[in-house]
Amino acid sequence: MKAANEMDDQMDDVKIPALEEIVDRNQVWSRMAAKYGVENPVPPWKTSLDGLCDALDQASCDPNGSAVMGIPDFKERRDEEDTLSATVYADLPYPENQLVALAHSLLARGVISEGELRQRLSSIRTRLEA
Amino acid sequence: MTDHAHDHDHAHDHDHDRTVKPMVEEITDFEVLEIALRELCIEKGIFTAEEHRRFTEFAEQIGPTPAARLVARAWLDADFKALAIAEPMTASKEVGVDWLEPTGFGTPSDFTAFQILENTPTVHNVIVCALCSCYPRPILGNSPEWYRTPNYRSRLVRFPRQVLSEFGLYLGDDVEVRVQDSNQKHRFMVMPMRPEGTDGWTEDQLTEIVTRDSLIGVAVPKAGVTTNVIVDTRAAMHPVGE
Repeated sequence: MKAANEMDDQMDDVKIPALEEIVDRNQVWSRMAAKYGVENPVPPWKTSLDGLCDALDQASCDPNGSAVMGIPDFKERRDEEDTLSATVYADLPYPENQLVALAHSLLARGVISEGELRQRLSSIRTRLEA
Repeated sequence: MTDHAHDHDHAHDHDHDRTVKPMVEEITDFEVLEIALRELCIEKGIFTAEEHRRFTEFAEQIGPTPAARLVARAWLDADFKALAIAEPMTASKEVGVDWLEPTGFGTPSDFTAFQILENTPTVHNVIVCALCSCYPRPILGNSPEWYRTPNYRSRLVRFPRQVLSEFGLYLGDDVEVRVQDSNQKHRFMVMPMRPEGTDGWTEDQLTEIVTRDSLIGVAVPKAGVTTNVIVDTRAAMHPVGE
């Protein structure tokens, strides 16, 4: 597990192919909404992402949990989002950049492995398309 | 006509294909990614499904209406205005927002204070969070995208008049601009001045023109204007790495 300041410096050097593939497929909300004539300005998963960020922030305030699990605290999460949105994910719009940056942070910090993410992405897609 | 006949006629009076709102009819990678992150965090014991559900419900129901109503009421009631300035958390409760229990089940921040900044003919307030994106969410809802950007956060502090002009707000030299920096402990909102042309308006009418932007301070209310400014989101002028 890396120290927080070291982590932020190296965050945008970490390559995560599973996320790069998602970026390349470019199913961003603006494009999907235009394709289907949907007017909502933000994707339906946005409030769930907000809930996820709040739940993570609350967990990082737990003195018994965050250090062990390596999850970013509120400021680290936002700093890393800003760094990644300006670099690796500069071409992604909001809120896709917020989501993918959060995924990048959690993977780069070792909270989630790329292998388990890939496996989960696959099983969820199978579930949703059943 | 019987009820059945009425229903039957009704069914053919409308083109129901046109009354159903369109939706995105494919599963996107981003939707799947959000679910995957959430499920993995829950399985690792970082938070529970119940905690996530409650925070998501909070994110669903917040918006700028309580703050707009607070301002409208203050414009109509001098005693309430005095209360809003002196005891903003008490005034917030009167529009349905409890700052100490905003979600009904606690708050992730170590919030300690909320303050309402009153605009006057010679002082204009505007809020920012230079550090990250702290925002008075319980009373104002989620922050707009531009509020979160490093560009707004850094430039507002250094060049407030220039940034305000980009929102279409031009203030005279006789008006002092005060930029209030929020943080995890202290949140702020602006109480704009009541505009001309609103004499005799009800609280509901006034509430409609107190826009999110005017509560942040990048706009001022105007009779007949109920929408926010749409601005381009700019990249940072000195991006990471430079």
